[in-house]
Amino acid sequence: MSILQVNGIYKKFGKTDVLRGIDFSMEEGEVLSIIGSSGSGKTTLLRSISFLETADRGTITLDGEVVFDAQNTLKKSKSEQRKIQSKFGFVFQSFNLFPQYTALENVMLAPRLAAKELNDYHKHKKEILHEIEQEAKALLDRAGLSDKYNNYPCELSGGQQQRVAICRALALKPKIMLFDEPTSALDPEITNEVLKVIKSVADLGMTMIIVTHEMNFARNISDRIIFMENGVIAEEGSPEQIFCHPQNPRTKEFITSFSQNVEE
Amino acid sequence: MFVEVSLKLLEGFGVTLKIFLLTLAFSLPLGLIISFGSMTRFAPVKWLTKGFVWIIRGTPLMLQLIVIFYGPGLVGTWAEAQINAGASGALIEWLATWHVMDRFFSVMVAFVINYSCYFSEIFRGGIESISRGQYEAGQVLGMTKTQVFFKVVLLQVIKRIVPPMSNEIITLVKDTSLARIVMVYEVIYAAQKFIKSDGLLWPLFYTAVYYLIFCGALTLLFGWIERKMSYFKS
Ligand SMILES: Nc1ncnc2c1ncn2[C@@H]1O[C@H](COP(=O)(O)OP(=O)(O)OP(=O)(O)O)[C@@H](O)[C@H]1O
Ligand SMILES: [Mg+2]
Repeated sequence: MSILQVNGIYKKFGKTDVLRGIDFSMEEGEVLSIIGSSGSGKTTLLRSISFLETADRGTITLDGEVVFDAQNTLKKSKSEQRKIQSKFGFVFQSFNLFPQYTALENVMLAPRLAAKELNDYHKHKKEILHEIEQEAKALLDRAGLSDKYNNYPCELSGGQQQRVAICRALALKPKIMLFDEPTSALDPEITNEVLKVIKSVADLGMTMIIVTHEMNFARNISDRIIFMENGVIAEEGSPEQIFCHPQNPRTKEFITSFSQNVEE
Repeated sequence: MFVEVSLKLLEGFGVTLKIFLLTLAFSLPLGLIISFGSMTRFAPVKWLTKGFVWIIRGTPLMLQLIVIFYGPGLVGTWAEAQINAGASGALIEWLATWHVMDRFFSVMVAFVINYSCYFSEIFRGGIESISRGQYEAGQVLGMTKTQVFFKVVLLQVIKRIVPPMSNEIITLVKDTSLARIVMVYEVIYAAQKFIKSDGLLWPLFYTAVYYLIFCGALTLLFGWIERKMSYFKS
């Protein structure tokens, strides 16, 4: 059974149709990259999946449970909605770390707030908080940030901030990680440190969707690639197929324009 | 003489401080409520609030003080005249009961309304300057709207509004002298009494010392708060 099913997603902003019927599904542990020219609707799709936008039509099913149905949006309680929300980890292009908290506090904040809703929170408060801290530290360690626990975002480089943001999203143990151009706000020299962390998350078997303009990275990390054009999936296939034998002329054009850019 | 003047002025400055502190105590929370009114998606409330803030910020505090002090009395007198001329009705009888309010009370009403509106604009600016990404980051981490406001947004707003707030609050210290025009005995009024009674002008100049010391202390306080919050940038 697929872990994520996206069916017939439509989204309009005013009079512009941004998404015009998106369907795809993913298996557990799969890494899917979404590529496509600027304005094709990649960000909007990712935001619709994670409830940052409300799609006009369509359904989203996670692990067999319908988590979004445009026809029927009111039935979930707020706490149910938040539980579903935390099954999607989201990494923003612009990091969006909380500036008043240290790296470690950024990672611990949401799990701590969520823990308050546990029934045995008051009885085992100490153990619970200790466990959250240990897990947060372990995440930062794996991202190569073991010496940055107590640094504030303004004291970190862009690459380090984005790595903290990835840890923050992972701390809630999401089912699926969504990355929206995680390296486009970074200087080229430091994109690699972030890509390495994303790769290590993929290697642990995390299911993820990555919107990216890093073609080599998409090619290496992905099990599957979606090429979007004008709000629809124009082509979908293995990296090999999309990069070496694209069927759709628009895909071909897009891929060639990129390899030319690289040569320049 | 110097000691006598100093003590009299101190007494006047006590009233100045009272106006200052009471205005702050009421207009800070009221300002926050007005700022929510001017940011609400419910259009009638939003435009009423904005219109009210526009009128209050667009007219001099001195004028508002005069209207609030003399206005009710004038309405009452006018209504009585109407009744004497043969008018009747519940409304006109109610209006006839209006009379001049206590001087100090009028001053407080005018100051609280005026400063609430100024503070509301500062709050609004601070809240609206927080990027959407902060709210969205909170949302995707499963936080409630209340948690996002208190755990993520609030401290950033406070940090941003400290400089404009400190400006406005220091202006308030000096605006308290307007209370004098409705004969409230604050420090300037206290000093002017010496002109009449003893022909002394220097007490008036001397009031500056009181203002300077108090504003100096406030400046130090706000500097300290700003430093306290300089550990993060937003
Ligand atoms: N909140 C919004 N209001 C109005 N229009 C929007 C909004 N968000 C996106 N759009 C429009 O929707 C279209 C698709 O935007 P989207 O950000 O999804 O594209 P994208 O594929 O992510 O592009 P890029 O590669 O530049 O990030 C664009 O034309 C954009 O102007
Ligand atoms: Mg985008």
